[in-house]
Amino acid sequence: MISYAGKIVLVTGARRGVGKLLADYFLRHGASVIGFSRHADEAPDAPGYTAIAVDVGDADSVARGFEQVRRQFGHLDIVINNAAVLTSQYAMIMPAGAAKSMLDTNVLGTFLVSREAAKLMRKSKWGRIINIGSMAASLEPMGDSVYAASKAAISTLANVMAKEFAALNITCNTLGITAIATDMLDQLPKDKVDKVIAGLPLPRYAEPDDIFNVIDFFASERSAYITAQTVFLGGAN
Amino acid sequence: MTNKESAVLDLIYQTLTTLNEERSADEKIEVGPDTCLFGERSVLDSLSLVSVIVDLETLVADKFGNAISLTDDKAMSRDPVPFVDVGTLKAYILEQLG
Repeated sequence: MISYAGKIVLVTGARRGVGKLLADYFLRHGASVIGFSRHADEAPDAPGYTAIAVDVGDADSVARGFEQVRRQFGHLDIVINNAAVLTSQYAMIMPAGAAKSMLDTNVLGTFLVSREAAKLMRKSKWGRIINIGSMAASLEPMGDSVYAASKAAISTLANVMAKEFAALNITCNTLGITAIATDMLDQLPKDKVDKVIAGLPLPRYAEPDDIFNVIDFFASERSAYITAQTVFLGGAN
Repeated sequence: MTNKESAVLDLIYQTLTTLNEERSADEKIEVGPDTCLFGERSVLDSLSLVSVIVDLETLVADKFGNAISLTDDKAMSRDPVPFVDVGTLKAYILEQLG
């Protein structure tokens, strides 16, 4: 039985979708969970859960959020970089603003949160930084040029940070998830997603347990010698 | 030296002393107002400098209640950068604290 009792876990984009699934999962297994989201005030109260309003793409907002974490919790064990924005559109008609928003949240946000997390983790010389990637990074579907690039970027980000943080016993890995029934999926045409899923070696939608299994491994002591790795669900690489 | 200047200098010395505590006897650095932290004459490797900067940002926030960044765009665009030695670092922190 997995237990995260005594662990402080930060999940970005925790208010809905995969972030909410993960926040609830860590809570059920005994962790103290901090949820970063733009509208933390709408987050439900739950024992062990602390919602903090943070725009991960804004450096000042992230710094304020981590200052609160530092004062309230003193340290941090596990970070799940989940916050992401998705606009699916053919490149020739993709608005620059939508592209920038994806890069700000998905790439810059992951960088800023990882950077501040490592500052907290280094004192205890233990930490796990886990990025939520996407099958889009490897399958490179039409319409997802910027989103796919942003998800490929966070794997690279994790790989480089893994080297920088290795001496601090902080590992950095990426989980490339496939489509799972969340509100983000509702933004995409179902026939298009079905077609992509049908092309996977394991052609089905992801279930929450598929995600939890890999997260448990990356977050555990057992993965102490595993860093700078990307695992794709469903054989999506 | 004012109380504030003295307090900032103490914090810088504290971070360097903490760093020394993690080092073996032959790796310890000399701690003083002219200790060079960055550049060719630096006594720190890059990871040690990062540790010093991060520790110092935390200590300053705790001591003065103001979060400052020693590595934001404003700081990094200075020539020389604020953490080139103990003296410039102290001056920059005092400037940020106002």
